[in-house]
Amino acid sequence: MLAFIIRRFLFLIFVLFGVSVLIFGILMTFSPERRAAAYVTTPQQAKDIPRLIKQFGLDEPFYIQYIRWIKEISQGNMGWSLVAARPVREAFWRYFPVTLEMNLFAAPIVIIFGIWLGTISGIHRDTWLDHTTRIFAIVGWSLPTFLFALVLLMVFYGYFQWFSPGVLSDDLTMFILDNPERFTRYTGLYTIDGILNGNFDLALDGLRHLVLPVMTYVIVVVALNMRVMRSGMIEELAKDYVITARAKGANKRTIHIKHARRNALLPVVTVAGQLVALSMEGSVAVEVVFNRQGIGWWLAESATQLDMPVLMCICLFMGIVFVITNLTLDILYAYIDPRIRLS
Amino acid sequence: MKRVSIFLCVFFLFFLLAGNLYAAEVKNPDTFILANYGNLRTLDPCVAYDVTSSQRLWNIYEPLIFFDGPYTDKFKPLLTTEVPSLENGGISQDGKTYTFTIRKGVTFHEGGDLTPEDVVYSFKRNMIADPDGGPMWMLLEALTGEGSTRDKDGKIIEGIFDTIDKCVEAKGDKVIIHLPRAYPPLLGILGYSSSVILDKEWAISKGCWDGDIKNAAKYNNPAPGHEPLLKIANGTNAYRMKSWEPNKEFVFERFDGYWGPKPRLKTAIVKYVKEWSTRKLMLQNGDADRVRVDNPYVPEVKAMKGLKLYEVPQLSVTAAFFCQKIYPTGNPNIGSGKLDGNGIPPDFFADINVRKAFLHAFDRATYKKDVFNDLVIMPSSPNIEGLPYHKDVPVYEFDLEKSASYMKKAWGGEVWEKGFKMIITYNTGNEMREAAAMMLAENVMSLNPKFNIEVRNVEWKDYLVKYRNFEFPLFLIGWGADYADPHNFMYTFMHSQGVYGRYMAYKNDEVDRLCEAGIQTIEPKKRDEIYTNLQNLWYTEAIAVPLYQQIVVRAYRDWVKGYVANPMLTDANEMLMDIWKE
Repeated sequence: MLAFIIRRFLFLIFVLFGVSVLIFGILMTFSPERRAAAYVTTPQQAKDIPRLIKQFGLDEPFYIQYIRWIKEISQGNMGWSLVAARPVREAFWRYFPVTLEMNLFAAPIVIIFGIWLGTISGIHRDTWLDHTTRIFAIVGWSLPTFLFALVLLMVFYGYFQWFSPGVLSDDLTMFILDNPERFTRYTGLYTIDGILNGNFDLALDGLRHLVLPVMTYVIVVVALNMRVMRSGMIEELAKDYVITARAKGANKRTIHIKHARRNALLPVVTVAGQLVALSMEGSVAVEVVFNRQGIGWWLAESATQLDMPVLMCICLFMGIVFVITNLTLDILYAYIDPRIRLS
Repeated sequence: MKRVSIFLCVFFLFFLLAGNLYAAEVKNPDTFILANYGNLRTLDPCVAYDVTSSQRLWNIYEPLIFFDGPYTDKFKPLLTTEVPSLENGGISQDGKTYTFTIRKGVTFHEGGDLTPEDVVYSFKRNMIADPDGGPMWMLLEALTGEGSTRDKDGKIIEGIFDTIDKCVEAKGDKVIIHLPRAYPPLLGILGYSSSVILDKEWAISKGCWDGDIKNAAKYNNPAPGHEPLLKIANGTNAYRMKSWEPNKEFVFERFDGYWGPKPRLKTAIVKYVKEWSTRKLMLQNGDADRVRVDNPYVPEVKAMKGLKLYEVPQLSVTAAFFCQKIYPTGNPNIGSGKLDGNGIPPDFFADINVRKAFLHAFDRATYKKDVFNDLVIMPSSPNIEGLPYHKDVPVYEFDLEKSASYMKKAWGGEVWEKGFKMIITYNTGNEMREAAAMMLAENVMSLNPKFNIEVRNVEWKDYLVKYRNFEFPLFLIGWGADYADPHNFMYTFMHSQGVYGRYMAYKNDEVDRLCEAGIQTIEPKKRDEIYTNLQNLWYTEAIAVPLYQQIVVRAYRDWVKGYVANPMLTDANEMLMDIWKE
């Protein structure tokens, strides 16, 4: 097992190298003028584009620019983010916790809720229950996230005024600013930092600000998990071992939960793993509508403004996330299905 | 299964409970909240060249003088005791020397006292730093006669730092500025955020220029992110920075040691809220006292209750510029590159008849009504309303018959006979420019079935690059005032070396001469004459199609009082000193 993990981590180096060359190569297809234009916003500033090209060596050959970038990265310098007005590394640790916090709450719900709905739907195939959950899944999957988020915001913030956008209320933000000695930023996740600082009001306020984003994300994403689970259940329930178990008079619950569901879980684990990995790059629509500046928002802004260091950083980060996710999934397969051996 | 159901129910109930328990809101009367979406790039005055950064700087720091209430050409003294003028002797008769008496009893947020040396240091330090893409060209042009400390290749201009060193000096309680030639817009430039005053000792301690002119080159052109005052600030104004979380919020708090009248607001928060619906709901629920309203959403705020709306004309103008020397190689925007019915020649717009035909094809009245709901000023020249010496010069009225007659004359009748094909571009997402491009295209095409114009969008950053490469036959672009003087617009739009004049490849010796005379003349009567001539030439020369001067709607909750509209202060601005909640 250990050798397998080491091998996968060595593989990670090649993946990151490939990703970096690919992304760097794509960005190099933009002319030096276009890349220098990232530093200007107004026609007044545009006169400095030729000088910016010289200053940053944007007209030098690809390999020189790539090596220079690699050198900087190896020294821990990820570059400067124009969008965040901060070094990329610093900005990353500002925005990532916002995305992570939402995922920490959303991912378990997506997985558990998806498995639960898929199981029910598969067991009660072609009944009203199955139809209802399938409609729910189709509507959730096909509804534009942006629209759904806006509807939730209008109802729960605009009308009821229960949940406001942002990550924390103004009074608690001011409390943190006024009392820096009473709040330490351990993780950047307000729900967790609130608890660690013994300030439960703050944790609950952070949680309150998570309700709508989590709800939106869950309803939109759970459908895929649910459908995979449903198909798996239907397939498993039609197999011989289930028929045999039924013929022998085994308990229905035991057949469904202990036998069929366990076997149907394998593809769900794959899908759920990929969903969790994908969610690490954030949801642009959710973050924009609910005013949570996380990785998704940052990535979208950086892409439109051609903020190259950020694009490179997030691509590398996602490379790492996917390699680690796949590794975790491989280990999980072996746990769920002992027939699968990592060797 | 039951356990899972119970778990999920408990989880959702917990969320809802958390929501209900903490739904009560505190709307503090001494806190002002603005929801906006501008990215704050820096707090260093020598780098800040965007409206968001200027807003922060103007509330934290102070320049010597600032715009007086709604006026763009009248100033009030801030860190000086009197605004210099020819009458009070603060400006010499030749317009080349400005004298400021520095106010006493002013302290910086971090505790230092304001001295004339701080003022001298601030000007020199900012000019020495002069980063690419920054605002320092304005002060450099006025004080040294050079628009930059570096040449086109990025090399430092010989002797520039010595010139900077000599152009401003402190004498007793006075600061004297020496100009190489008269520069009438100087007072406006001194009110800009790049002219705010720093505490010399504090700035040096933070890594700014050390005060020795021999070391100036070391501090020149810092790379983005390497400017020393990027995220720190120490000004003299009524508010200080409490915190700045990039792209999340910026918090101001009242500075109790302020030398002037005590501001009424204790705290102000500028929140970054990108999505309009979110901003609108914040305004509706009273969670924001003002939100930024883009033009398409004006009808929505007009329908809302409990708001106070202000319509503020902006000192900015957009036009459609004819390029008279289009880059021909592989340029899809001009088709075949010949006047053969499948393209246009690179100098298509060099014929004034073509330009006049396009001008007569633009329906100003319909554009104003349909695109802006009449909430716009239709300019007659780049010297727009709100600028000194503005005149309403004639415009080319919408008349398709006249347009056709000019087209028939153009290129000796060849245009009408053979037809043409071209592409008009606008920057993606700008609906106002898109509408103008569509209107021009459709009206010109309606003249003759052989005329074929396509309208395409191009990303803004690409647009900035491509118009400078002479790739667009007709480019639609705007200009916002750096300072409220016609020179900033007329030179830009009409001079052969102006930002747009150059990329239109437009050259007229008389126009160039007048543009240069305008900036070198201090006598208002003579300047009026010069700029009136230029505005008339704009019409007779049919240089470009003036499209719109925007009027911005600012939406405040009706409990916010004290706002004074000033066209120089754009939508992103909020002068906290002026406002309060009641």
